Formats: sequence, C-alpha cells, structure tokens
Amino acid sequence: MDIKRVVVGIQALTFYSTKKLLLGNKAVITVLVALFVAAVMVYAGSQSDRPLEDGTNLMDTLILFFFMPVMAMIFGSSLIRDEIDDKSITHVATAPLDRAFSYLGYYLPLGIATAISMVAIITVGWVGFFGQHGIGPDELGIYLDFVALVVIGSFVYSSLFLAISVLFSKPVMFGLFYAFIWEGYIGSLPGAIQNASVKHYLRSLGSEWVKFGDISGWVQASSAWSSALVLLVVTIFFLILGIYLFREKELA
Amino acid sequence: MTSQGDGLMPIVQAQALSKWYGQVIGLNGFALRVMPGITGIVGPNGSGKSTFFKLILGLIKPNAGSISVLGEIPWKNPNLHSSIGFCPDYESLPSDSTGREYLTLIGKLQMMHGTALSNRIREVVRLVDMERALDRKTGGYSKGMKQRMKIAGALLHDPKLLILDEPLSGTDPLVRKDLIDLIKMINKDHGHDIIVSSHVLFEIERMTHNVALIYRGRAVASGDIAEIRNLMDRHPHNIIIEGEKATALAKALLDEDYVVSVALNDNKDSLTVQVSKPDDFFNGLPALIDKTQCSVSTMYSLDDNLEAVFRYLVGR
Repeated sequence: MDIKRVVVGIQALTFYSTKKLLLGNKAVITVLVALFVAAVMVYAGSQSDRPLEDGTNLMDTLILFFFMPVMAMIFGSSLIRDEIDDKSITHVATAPLDRAFSYLGYYLPLGIATAISMVAIITVGWVGFFGQHGIGPDELGIYLDFVALVVIGSFVYSSLFLAISVLFSKPVMFGLFYAFIWEGYIGSLPGAIQNASVKHYLRSLGSEWVKFGDISGWVQASSAWSSALVLLVVTIFFLILGIYLFREKELA
Repeated sequence: MTSQGDGLMPIVQAQALSKWYGQVIGLNGFALRVMPGITGIVGPNGSGKSTFFKLILGLIKPNAGSISVLGEIPWKNPNLHSSIGFCPDYESLPSDSTGREYLTLIGKLQMMHGTALSNRIREVVRLVDMERALDRKTGGYSKGMKQRMKIAGALLHDPKLLILDEPLSGTDPLVRKDLIDLIKMINKDHGHDIIVSSHVLFEIERMTHNVALIYRGRAVASGDIAEIRNLMDRHPHNIIIEGEKATALAKALLDEDYVVSVALNDNKDSLTVQVSKPDDFFNGLPALIDKTQCSVSTMYSLDDNLEAVFRYLVGR
C-alpha cells in the first residue's frame, strides 16, 4: 500500500468535502438553526433569575439533546447517497484510492463540518443567554464542557449517519426516524431502554463534566469511562460497517 | 474481434462476460478484444455500452465471465485507475465547484500537487480549449463545455487508456467536429489509447476505422468499419435537425446528391433529413450551416435505422 497516496487522497477529499458541506446549501440550515437557538436563549436569558442552572439546562435539552442528532442527520444521512444519485461520486470511484480510504475521506469532513456547525450554534446560544448576565469562569466552563460534548457527538453521529447513507437507498427517511424517534423519544424514556441511544452516553459524559443544571445530578447516568468506551465502540463499529458496505457497493 | 494492432497485447479483453441488474440484462455472454489505438463502441441506447465501460472501470462486478484491462482485473483494483481516464456520458461535474476546483481535486486524488499540478491543469484546459472558463462554476457551463471539462479531467493524469462514453451526445454539430478533432489529436499526438462509444456509427467513423457493434448486450460485429458501413449504407438514415432558419438549411440540403428527402416537421424549426451517404452528410453539414446562417440547437439520428441494421446483423 502506498501510504503517501492514501494520505494525500484522504486530505484532498477532506478539504474538498468540508468546504462543500460548510459553504454549500446546508450552510443555510446551520444559520437558521443558530438564529432559532439564539432567539430562544436570548429570551430565556432575559427571563432567568438562576442563569447558571437555566442556561445549562437549555444547552442540554435544546442543543445537546435535540439539535445534535438532528444536525448530524442533516449533514450525514445523504452525503454519499446524494453523490451516488447525482453521479458526482464518479471522480472518487475512479480514483486510485481504495474505497476504504475514500470512505474515510467522507467521514472526516462530515465529522469536522458537523462539529464546526454545532460549535457555531452552541456559541451563539451561549453568548445569547449568558452574555446578558456576565461571563465568568463558571459560564466559560459550561461553554467548554458543551463544546467538548458536541465535538465528540459530531464524530459519533457522523459515523452512524454516514453508514446509513450507504446502507439505505432512501437514507433521509431512516435518518429522520433515527434522529427523532429513536434518539428523541426512546432516548428520553425512563429505564434501561434509553441506554440504547447515543444521547444517553453523551449526556452521561456531560453529567461527569458539567457542574450545573439537571445534567450534573442525573441519576441514570452511566459511568464516564463506560460511556466513553461505548461511544468509541459505536463509532468504530459503524465506520467498519460503512467501509465494508462502500467497498462492496456497485456504482451502476 | 478488433484487428487493429495485430501482434500487440489487447488493452481490454472480455470473455463470456455477463452482467444483469435484477431482471434487466446489461451484457450477455459478451466477448471482445480491444487493441491499442482508437476503438469505437457503437450500439443503440440501452445496448450495454455503459455497462461495458463500468465493468472496465471496476464500478460494477461481472455476474459471469471475465474481463481484464491492461492485463489486470478491474473490480476492487483502484491502482488500475492510475492508468485509466474516464469521461462518463452523464453529468458528473460537481455543479457548485469551479473547473479549477474540480481538476485540482482530480489531480490530488491522482497524487499530483503543487506547481506540477497547476502546470498540468493549464496544459489540459488549453488542450480542450477551456482556459477562459476554468474559474467559472461548472453548473453554468454549456453541454459542450461540460464535455470538454470532463475530457480534461480524464486526461489530467496522463492515463494510458481513455474511456469516453458518448462524448458527442447532446452537442451541436460544430462542437461535435471540434470534439472529434480533439479525440483524434489526443491519440495521434499524445499516444493515449481511446475507447469511445456512440449510438451513431458515422460519428465513430470520423474518429477510427476500428469498431465493435453492441446490440442487446452482445458484441455482434467488430473489425474494420468499411465492411460494417457497407451494411449500414443499404439503409437510408433519418436525421433530425432543430434550430432557427431550418427552412433555409432544408433548401440547401435539397441540392446535395447524398440527400434522399427533406421534410419540415410540425414545428417549422425542425426538419427530418433522409440521407443515403451519412458520412458525406456529416462532412458537408458545417459548411451548409455556415452558408445558410442556420442556428442548429439539436441534431440526432433516429435510432430506428440503427436498430434495423443491428437486427439485420444478428439475423432477427
């Protein structure tokens, strides 16, 4: 295997696709979500007399709980499928690069673009809420904790949704089902069933790190180490699944 | 079997090759040896030309039989792509990228970078006459420009073998002439072996005398075009021409001895020409267009006659 060729190929695809994701049509969705989050958090901030608690709860429920899987789904569930359908995948499929590495050339930009969008959204919301009450070390700590969580979440969900985009011919339908029904509903049910959602482990990590809000005292949280391990295994599992499917896929 | 370049190794060799998509047969017991040079693959729409090309590129895998390209099996063989340039018949250019961004990505995927890549991009866009449109979004290109940019992408890494799937499809006569000249020049001056497909035999004839005819997933004839053309010429060919001032062009065509009949269609900007010598027609048409100032927007052969010849060739 020519390692240099592999690295250059992945770099080229990562740069190209990141730019396409961040500056293409989906950038409008990021801006709209950021505006929505800003509006909600500015209003909530103006009404709050316990800003550290209320602000943390909002960042948890609105951004980590809801928009994290939704944005990953919007960016990821049709990334490869769109290129298969509009046939612009031809230049990747006819490049001298094993499809396993081409797949990584889609995964990395997807994770990066989702993470950048989520960090932008969380920054806007955080400034909108806490900016009204003054920003000190506690507020900055909350911000950094949630930035870390959405960056981790971006790479976990990207692995999952990218595999979906290779596995299904209508990946957006399945992506919607997963993001809203599975993550949104099943992940909120009481009892052990919520352990079957990515969100549970992200929030478990958050309960270890964040010092304010309901998430800090969350009784159902799994341990930080086991959560980190589960998230890593999920990411690797879906990466391997996606790579296998992509290598076997006929591009007719 | 194609005979050009006897004594040389075939660049593509297919034996008993079959590919089907569910109930639909793409290729069926297909056998062909393609020798170096320019080889034309001719067949009606849906005959299996694109399936053959996808098998050459390893985009799909055969259900039966075998195919080798430059001595290697293409399925799951990405290294082979270093030696092949592909211009597909569909729109594959990313519409939100400029020509330069597209070529830069292709080049980097082929391990080209820095000044060498910039110089090569400049070289190939000059070759396909796309220098002025290089920094425009490809979504705004005309059909002819898109074809040229796709050919530039296929040529960028200086591949040994160039696969051009219907490169003349949807282009106007003047662009067709330019593209045909370009394809011949790429082979003659740059030494690339080329496999080019079309559903119009007489377009292929202007590029090469070495053809293979495909019909319903089988190679029904291959070899020198002169023999095949004799069969074709027994069947008058109907060609549709659409554009402004079509009436003036119709009058001019009636004076040509290779024209059997000219009929204006319901839409006065469209005419059907029946010709006995298609090669004379295609050679003479650009001058007639120039003389009558007709603005031709579309031109195509009706497949019916080609189908008739293919049916004749397979004895149906």
